[in-house]
Amino acid sequence: MAETEYSTMARLSVDTIWDFVKEMDNWAPLLTGYQAHEKQSETDSLWTVKGDVGVLARVVKFKVHITEWNGPERVSFELEGVNELLKGQGVFIMQPYEEEPAGAASAQRKNVFTRVVESLLRFFLRLFRGRPERAAASAAGPGEGWAQLTFKLRIDPGGPMAPMINAMMKPAMEVVAEDLSNRIIAQLEAQQGSKA
Amino acid sequence: MASKPARWDLEVDVVAVGSGLGAICSAIVAHDLDQQVVVLEKAPKLGGLCAYGGGEVFVPNNHKMAEIGATDSDEAGRQYLDFLSAGFADPKLLGKLLDNARPAVEYFEKEAGVKWIAVAGLPDYYYPEAPGTHPGGRYLSVDLFEGSQLGEWQHKTYLTPHIPLGVLHRELYAWGGLAKVTEWDYELIAERITNDQRSSGPGMMGYFIKAAMIDRGIPAYVETPVRELITENGRVIGVRAERAGQDFFVGARRGVVLAIGGYDMNKEMARQYEAMPDWNSAAPPYLDGDHMVMGGEVGAAVAAVPPTNLAMFFGYNIPGEEHDGKPLYRTSWECGCPHAIWVNRAGKRFCDEAFYKDYQPRVRMWDGQNQEMPNYPPFLIFDQNYRDRYPLGSFMPGTELPEELVKQANTPRELAEKLGIDGEQLEATLERYNRFAEKGEDPDFGSGSHPWSVRLTGDESYPNPCVGPLNKSPYYGLRLVPVGVGINSHGLRTNAHAQVMHVRSNPIPGLYAVGNSAALLDLGGGYQSGTSNMRAITWGYLAGQHLGRKA
Ligand SMILES: Cc1cc2nc3c(=O)[nH]c(=O)nc-3n(C[C@H](O)[C@H](O)[C@H](O)COP(=O)(O)OP(=O)(O)OC[C@H]3O[C@@H](n4cnc5c(N)ncnc54)[C@H](O)[C@@H]3O)c2cc1C
Repeated sequence: MAETEYSTMARLSVDTIWDFVKEMDNWAPLLTGYQAHEKQSETDSLWTVKGDVGVLARVVKFKVHITEWNGPERVSFELEGVNELLKGQGVFIMQPYEEEPAGAASAQRKNVFTRVVESLLRFFLRLFRGRPERAAASAAGPGEGWAQLTFKLRIDPGGPMAPMINAMMKPAMEVVAEDLSNRIIAQLEAQQGSKA
Repeated sequence: MASKPARWDLEVDVVAVGSGLGAICSAIVAHDLDQQVVVLEKAPKLGGLCAYGGGEVFVPNNHKMAEIGATDSDEAGRQYLDFLSAGFADPKLLGKLLDNARPAVEYFEKEAGVKWIAVAGLPDYYYPEAPGTHPGGRYLSVDLFEGSQLGEWQHKTYLTPHIPLGVLHRELYAWGGLAKVTEWDYELIAERITNDQRSSGPGMMGYFIKAAMIDRGIPAYVETPVRELITENGRVIGVRAERAGQDFFVGARRGVVLAIGGYDMNKEMARQYEAMPDWNSAAPPYLDGDHMVMGGEVGAAVAAVPPTNLAMFFGYNIPGEEHDGKPLYRTSWECGCPHAIWVNRAGKRFCDEAFYKDYQPRVRMWDGQNQEMPNYPPFLIFDQNYRDRYPLGSFMPGTELPEELVKQANTPRELAEKLGIDGEQLEATLERYNRFAEKGEDPDFGSGSHPWSVRLTGDESYPNPCVGPLNKSPYYGLRLVPVGVGINSHGLRTNAHAQVMHVRSNPIPGLYAVGNSAALLDLGGGYQSGTSNMRAITWGYLAGQHLGRKA
């Protein structure tokens, strides 16, 4: 099992984020490696994504089934590989900023060393992969009128190689979760900026 | 050709072009002999082909054999390499290679910290028949390398997309070889991947890159392709490279080492030189044959060995699989397992599918009566017995195979129709093959008769580890394409100091070529796993010594 969770905050209302997230057409192209998606019903869709695990990129097709549609707070889904032995679950959680939101609390529990190492790692990953950075937003700091978007993803590869695939996927998944959340927020911030 | 710039952007003693094994070995040795060295690499990461490979180094009578209780002699090694060369080698170069391979690997162990291990029980390709051949111990591989030792280069060195990371050779064979890939210890592999403990080719390149870039502080520039050699009075004095779209002139007071591999990615060059209708490659996508162009511009002689018996394979691209944005081609090893054969368009078998040294020349066979290659392209055929047990590339048993690549049908005849081959003959071929396969025999082509094939791809739970009947529906098939592994028949002609020879037969002062950029006149008409890394290490070592010699 490879699991990742990423939270990000922005000066946006929960409803603004929800309006965007609830339409998968809005954010699908923001998913790293996105190639295509096809809605099959209100709850089911078929996705084609090019996954990059560092040594190679591979096109993965999977089905997504929405299991919980609870706007504007959360959307949960399950996924299942079409051409790969894998299953998974994910959730988007949107919540207004409070003094100590869940994500921030868990971040604070990590010791200083871990946080320094993580931020250095993120810096290098960005350097090597040319990833998006929302420097301005993160520098400003959260306060009233802010919301938090959390994206959790868990993937269980099947078959005999599952442990190896997990190990290869984990670093890539962390990057994907972080990028998707940041891109959604960056897009909404840009829209808001252009309206202002 | 570019002329000497008014000012060099950088001036050193030795410019090592490329960052594969040959380049890094020459850089280390030249540095150790007090030369100032720089490495210029076209790709965004270091490591070249070796980092994509199995990391076997063939060294007869090597210093690690005693540790596994094996014995050998220089004489036996010479006999075997003579046999492999089939009369096409330059005896002086072959002798120099053999005499220096052991000192070279010992040097890199002592001075560069490379932890060699002799691989027990993996025989020479032509064991036991060939003169001087050996049952196991001539292949060296490396112990696990800790990726974290690479510092800033840890994430800027290639890892192989072809071979599971973190598996030692002795484990690979103890776990049953490629046929038992579904039964390997993936918990252990996962732990090693998580901890970035590298084995095989990436592990080997890890040791060398650490020795060069970290321990010795040799600077390396990635995304810096060398475009031209710069000469003065017939001597190579530097290069024009490119960095971020700008010219980057690097002066070389002593010399330039071209260690930029072969021409696998240059389809036209590969098709012409390798005499194949098509060419694809399993190598990193930067081997464009620049050595042939740059060498040609300064009058370098090109030499060739027969392409018929080199390391080249047939394989496929799994739709959507890419490396550095280019399609990734995999070599097909499926036909070394039971329940899989190759046929031609006529639906007939034509080779020992488990031994690639046999299938390659047979695919190349030319029918002068009909002006065609009757065995090209080959088709891989397998059945559900195979699918239940073994993977196809990265598709494990139980996964769906991509329709674009693999055709599937309930009967051999239907399958033949889908593949566009002769159905009646395919049925007859399977009927005959199965009759003998039930007993573990292959009287037609002797599949499973080479201990090397058995060890690498065979399933030792079968009476004949490479043979099993195809009799369980559905049947599967795919058309294979030529897939090179960066080892080509043509290269720059070099002498016993690794200097590039001019078409007028004198060495070109200041220009060296090692590894796959140098013609394989040291090996001649044959190939054996590990000889490619052997020649990259040995000629890199010799070039470094020559560059660092006292004036
Ligand atoms: C799947 C696979 C498995 C293999 N397994 C084995 C094995 O077990 N044993 C064995 O002996 N061999 C094996 N090989 C082959 C072997 O690794 C290489 O042939 C060997 O290491 C020799 O490499 P080299 O030094 O000639 O150059 P390469 O490793 O080919 O490196 C050339 C470098 O030059 C760079 N370059 C190209 N053009 C330019 C330019 N203009 N300017 C700057 N840089 C440039 C390239 O990007 C590359 O990094 C394998 C190959 C493959 C693909």
